Amino acid sequence: MRGKGLITAVIILTFAALMTYAVVSLQVFGEGTGVRPLGEFYLKNSYFGDYSARSPEVVTSILWDYRGIDTLFETAVFFLAIIGSLTVFRLTREQEKEVKKVESAPTELTPIVKDVTKVIVVMILAVSASIALHGHLTPGGGFQGGSALAVAPLLIIAAYSKYTLEGHGMDKTRALILRSIGLLGIALVALVPLLSDGFIMQNQPIFPAEIGGQLIGGSLIYYNFFEFLAVGAGFTAVFLLLSIPEEKFKKILGVKK
Amino acid sequence: MSVLFYIGALLIVIGALCDFFGALGLLRFPNFYVRLHAATVGIIGGAAVPLFGVALLALGADFLPNRYAIAGASFITGVIVLLASPAGSHALAYAAHRAKLVEWEPKVDHLGEVRGSD
Repeated sequence: MRGKGLITAVIILTFAALMTYAVVSLQVFGEGTGVRPLGEFYLKNSYFGDYSARSPEVVTSILWDYRGIDTLFETAVFFLAIIGSLTVFRLTREQEKEVKKVESAPTELTPIVKDVTKVIVVMILAVSASIALHGHLTPGGGFQGGSALAVAPLLIIAAYSKYTLEGHGMDKTRALILRSIGLLGIALVALVPLLSDGFIMQNQPIFPAEIGGQLIGGSLIYYNFFEFLAVGAGFTAVFLLLSIPEEKFKKILGVKK
Repeated sequence: MSVLFYIGALLIVIGALCDFFGALGLLRFPNFYVRLHAATVGIIGGAAVPLFGVALLALGADFLPNRYAIAGASFITGVIVLLASPAGSHALAYAAHRAKLVEWEPKVDHLGEVRGSD
């Protein structure tokens, strides 16, 4: 134990010394370097100018404009991962019904946890929507908002049960429909510029940068919204699958004890 | 420097102290339940309180752009932490007690006395 502590101490001290050296002599955080040429180019083409997204959040702008095809394929990878897990857990229609049936009263957590969950779920929905819909103005965006959104059903599954979530209308089929709507929306928004002689996924000037005086960043807000739906609902579908009790699967597969 | 600045800075310092004592308790306390208490000190005192401090600090800083947005976001995050953390530690303690994973030797057990210890 003593030797381990010594090694840790040496590592921490070396790191601290290196960082101090870097800050003091190499001026890593030096001042007056200004905006570099590449940064200037991106700022000019995403915030200023007539053909830009007019989005103050340059990162989102770069994600969906300059490397939009890349982001489209990233979304496709996530889509494939969800499809993969759905295929692993695929069930027939009767088995789906069996899985949804409540056999014994499910164990729920204490009233304290349940009541707090009720409040928190509403707050999470609001916060995640704000992360996604402000994605073109502030840090955040569709994927981050969707991941935050997926925490809400997860909390309901943990504090109440999977059956409560399904009883309130959020079952696997609905989640999959929502996710498909999201993916379809992303694909359609990507294809719209082709109709008016633009390139695929082109942002300006096909999509308006402002509506009614509000900055919406051209196509960014649509991408963010649909990505929000796709990611949130995709995660929800997987959580619902993972929360199926093991006994039910054993019953379905005919595993003998 | 306004009053808000000093109150906010004070709350952040309190947060740092709570974080320190929480970490110390997490390392030094003898069993699961007391360590859970130390962790909660670290969350409420070390995360929620400084977040309120940041909100006050942002409100007091006239030079800061978008200071109302920063203050609002910090305040909301603080409220969420303040709500979620006690419920979370309650759920942890409840689960550990129910599953009988943690050996406990209570010095005083009023609930057991009332129920008639069995």
